[in-house]
Amino acid sequence: MMRVVVAGRDAPLWLAASTIARALAPASVTVEAIELPPAMGPGDAYATLPPLEALHAQLRVDEDALLRLTQGAFTLGQNFADASGEVPAFLHPYGSFGAPIDGHDFFAYWLKARLHGLNVPLEDFSLTAAAARHGRLMLPDDDSERYGRCDYGYHLPALAYARVLKGIAAHHGVTVQAAETVTAERDADGRATALLLDGGRRVEGDLFVDATGPEALLIGGGRESWRSFFPADRVFSASGARFAAIPAYAEVRASAGGWTALYPSPTGRHVVHAWSSALTSDEDALGEAAAAFGVPLAAGVVRSSEPGRRPLAWEGNIVAIGEAACGFDPFHGVDLHAVQLGLINLLACFPASADYGAQRDEYNRVMQSSFERVRDFQSAHYALARWRGPFWDTARAAEVPAEVAQRIDLFRARGEIAPFEEESFAPDSWRTLFVGHGLVPESWLPAIDRTAPDEMKAQFRRMLGFVREQVLKAPTHDQVLATIAQRHG
Amino acid sequence: MAAAPFRIVIVGGGTAGWMCAAGLVRLLALTDYDLTLIESDAIGTVGVGEATLPHIKNFNDMLGIDEAQFLRDTRGTFKLGIEFVGWDRPGEAYVHPFGTFGEPWASVDFQHHWARAMLAGEAVGSLQEYSFAVAAAKAGAFELPNEDPKSIRSTYAYAYHFDATLYAHFLRGWATARGVKRIEGQVIDITRDPASGHVSTLRLESGAEIGGDLFVDCSGFRALLVGGTMGVGWHDWSEWLPCDRALAVPCASAAELTPFTRSTARRGGWQWRIPLQHRIGNGHVFSSAFCSEQEASDTLLANLDGPALGEPRLLRFQAGRRARAWEGNVVAIGLSSGFLEPLESTSIFLIQAAVVDLANLMPARGGGVDARLAAEFNRLFEVHCDRTRDFLVLHYAANRRHGEPLWDHVRNMTLPDSLAHKIALFRESAAAPDYKLGLFSRDSWLAVLEGQGVLPRSYNRLAERIPMAELVEKLAELRDYIRLNAVAMGSHAEFIAGYCDAGASGAGAMVAA
Repeated sequence: MMRVVVAGRDAPLWLAASTIARALAPASVTVEAIELPPAMGPGDAYATLPPLEALHAQLRVDEDALLRLTQGAFTLGQNFADASGEVPAFLHPYGSFGAPIDGHDFFAYWLKARLHGLNVPLEDFSLTAAAARHGRLMLPDDDSERYGRCDYGYHLPALAYARVLKGIAAHHGVTVQAAETVTAERDADGRATALLLDGGRRVEGDLFVDATGPEALLIGGGRESWRSFFPADRVFSASGARFAAIPAYAEVRASAGGWTALYPSPTGRHVVHAWSSALTSDEDALGEAAAAFGVPLAAGVVRSSEPGRRPLAWEGNIVAIGEAACGFDPFHGVDLHAVQLGLINLLACFPASADYGAQRDEYNRVMQSSFERVRDFQSAHYALARWRGPFWDTARAAEVPAEVAQRIDLFRARGEIAPFEEESFAPDSWRTLFVGHGLVPESWLPAIDRTAPDEMKAQFRRMLGFVREQVLKAPTHDQVLATIAQRHG
Repeated sequence: MAAAPFRIVIVGGGTAGWMCAAGLVRLLALTDYDLTLIESDAIGTVGVGEATLPHIKNFNDMLGIDEAQFLRDTRGTFKLGIEFVGWDRPGEAYVHPFGTFGEPWASVDFQHHWARAMLAGEAVGSLQEYSFAVAAAKAGAFELPNEDPKSIRSTYAYAYHFDATLYAHFLRGWATARGVKRIEGQVIDITRDPASGHVSTLRLESGAEIGGDLFVDCSGFRALLVGGTMGVGWHDWSEWLPCDRALAVPCASAAELTPFTRSTARRGGWQWRIPLQHRIGNGHVFSSAFCSEQEASDTLLANLDGPALGEPRLLRFQAGRRARAWEGNVVAIGLSSGFLEPLESTSIFLIQAAVVDLANLMPARGGGVDARLAAEFNRLFEVHCDRTRDFLVLHYAANRRHGEPLWDHVRNMTLPDSLAHKIALFRESAAAPDYKLGLFSRDSWLAVLEGQGVLPRSYNRLAERIPMAELVEKLAELRDYIRLNAVAMGSHAEFIAGYCDAGASGAGAMVAA
């Protein structure tokens, strides 16, 4: 019998509690959740990455029910645009580009063709990107699987999503106590023995999971700051009226003082605006956010952003999950993904016995590199951005981690993506980011020069034809959501 | 595209040199690259790397080499793994198979289920009993793997034993027929560009001057360019791998043609046995600090299957690697870049990986050598070498050969942190290393951890999703299933007779697509 106590709030609390309970109840592990007041508000939404679907499947979350109950939406990627229209936009799709030719990645061929004057953008070879651009939803089927990967994420209104997950947690046997405050009671060795809640309540446990957010109420301690990589330290979130037709992707617009992201869902458009307090006052920033999309906003909240990583995500018998372990820049909405990384790895390293020092070391080792690889993707985005304005000047001048510099160097020289362990983003995601920001490689993989140019051209034509055909067959996002709404309706 | 082709000069024609020539001529377009290999008949090759890993098949397939013809021409045999005899303690043996142990159940890796039943006191036997490749190896059986992933006969891969000198000879024919220029001669002088420090020309004994844009150092232990000319430093690993000598001798074949390499621990090192169609390759790797040459030679000659075919040949080495394999316009591949004893047949794999990386990172025609590409090559080189090192050190570190000075020494040495952590993690939880880049796979780590007597104290609790009675039954069924299928398989010798018997055709020219 082992008692796990998870303290936290919002979706991360319920993801953590239900994932552990679902996996380990048969191993006599009980899970108690201590529910703190939400930090999220009615204006907030999560933009999720494709791997979340697999975690939902483990938790037996039904996708239709999830979207119906949360009033959530699908998303095929994120479009990065310049508010001034000067720098061309690019879309990061959650699917792959092209199909291999002669056993080599498509990308090298595209690169070579482009350096020889081909004018077709990379995204035209992606089913996912092409569908997003045409207002369609591309979900994977047998035809698309043969061509390439077609993944998707969700836009989930935060409060409703937490409610759904709370129900899932109860279904998997999690018991719940609501609390206003929580602190950890520790013994002489610093190990946590119990959580102390308001009203004099005391909850004993063997292992404690801290999902309380950036305050890290249980585990505490300092962090290695990532401030030098990231210019934004203020974030505003709010919501506005819904679109007449719901786009199947997120829109991120860069302006002189920062960037504004818009995550559409049937309940509305969730807006996130990030800026640097050193360059812009809150008042000016909010004006810029409102101007970016030109609709009235409600339920607005301003928060600070302090990216950085706790040196040890797991210390003693307390495991920090999500923001309690590592805070990320708001770019690309990676927060829930970080929670998921922590949970999957916790199941792999879950204490096998009372003596788990090596498993804890392994957890900390893997979490450090997992978090750093996600950070690298965000850092590269700021370092390479071409948008105008003081915010972007600061971003370009910021430091980059050594691994990012290596990746950029290799891409510039050869158009290849350096492989790393514990990588969250697929090579095609890195390629999109690099190409989208105007990084032009100086050469391509030499091995592809053995493919005859006519063969390459014929394959390109075939791919473009296939993408066009599939996109025309695909339903609109609204049609799919309407079907889901009616299905159990 | 007016620029002249980019000139690549390979120095040395052993296994590394000709694998490099063949790989590059296959992966690069000869309109853009000019490939020359310089070798001297006066300089012998080491050529002891006769055992390989399954990756070699990918390399041969990439070249389009016909497997049966290749095996006939190199007197090759099949290899399902390596049998380690006496490595944990005298009298015990295990196989490191080229295959999986069991299969994941309830999304939990197999070894956790096995560990759980074992720790509960159930008679579930060794992990070895859950590998089809182990069972087939022990039965002396071989057939090509089944392509149906549901079949137990799909759960293994295979490598080859072959005559490395004949392999190099073949690749020479293959590569020169496709445009690699071969120059016979010995390099006697090397000129560097004073400004860049790059190698510019090689002068041969004949007086010929060979210019190049990139030089691949396949000169073996001499490390002519990377060591001699460029002076790249060496990371010495003899602190963990103290063996520094090997005596090699072939002997006549014995009756049984085993489908595996055998490695037998000896007082002062270990002995290899590699069965080919026409002979057996043998060698004794030893540490000169713990074992004299005479003792090693006596041990080797006393432990051969048949009469020795010649005098034992001595090789001297030091375990370690270059600080950088690519320096300036010199790229070291093979023994010039590093040496790890042939305990896990890694040398040919490390050559293969370097050749593919070099092809991918080759400077473009018209461009110069690019430090950014070299940096990535060196990063991958380090990952390959360092991970392989940890795996080899494990064989020594976890031993119970008490009272033998070499083995006492390696049991008590301080391990690299990366390895100490892996061992501690397995002991604590049955979790085994599982990484994407480089050797070895999780199943390989499991084979050697358990084989060397490192046993888990616990297992991942997710395994408890299966009731114990059901688990014990599943384990018994799997053991029986593996045993029955291995017994039903034809023998290795029969398979070779029907597929690639060198006796039938002799050494013909290699046929390639």
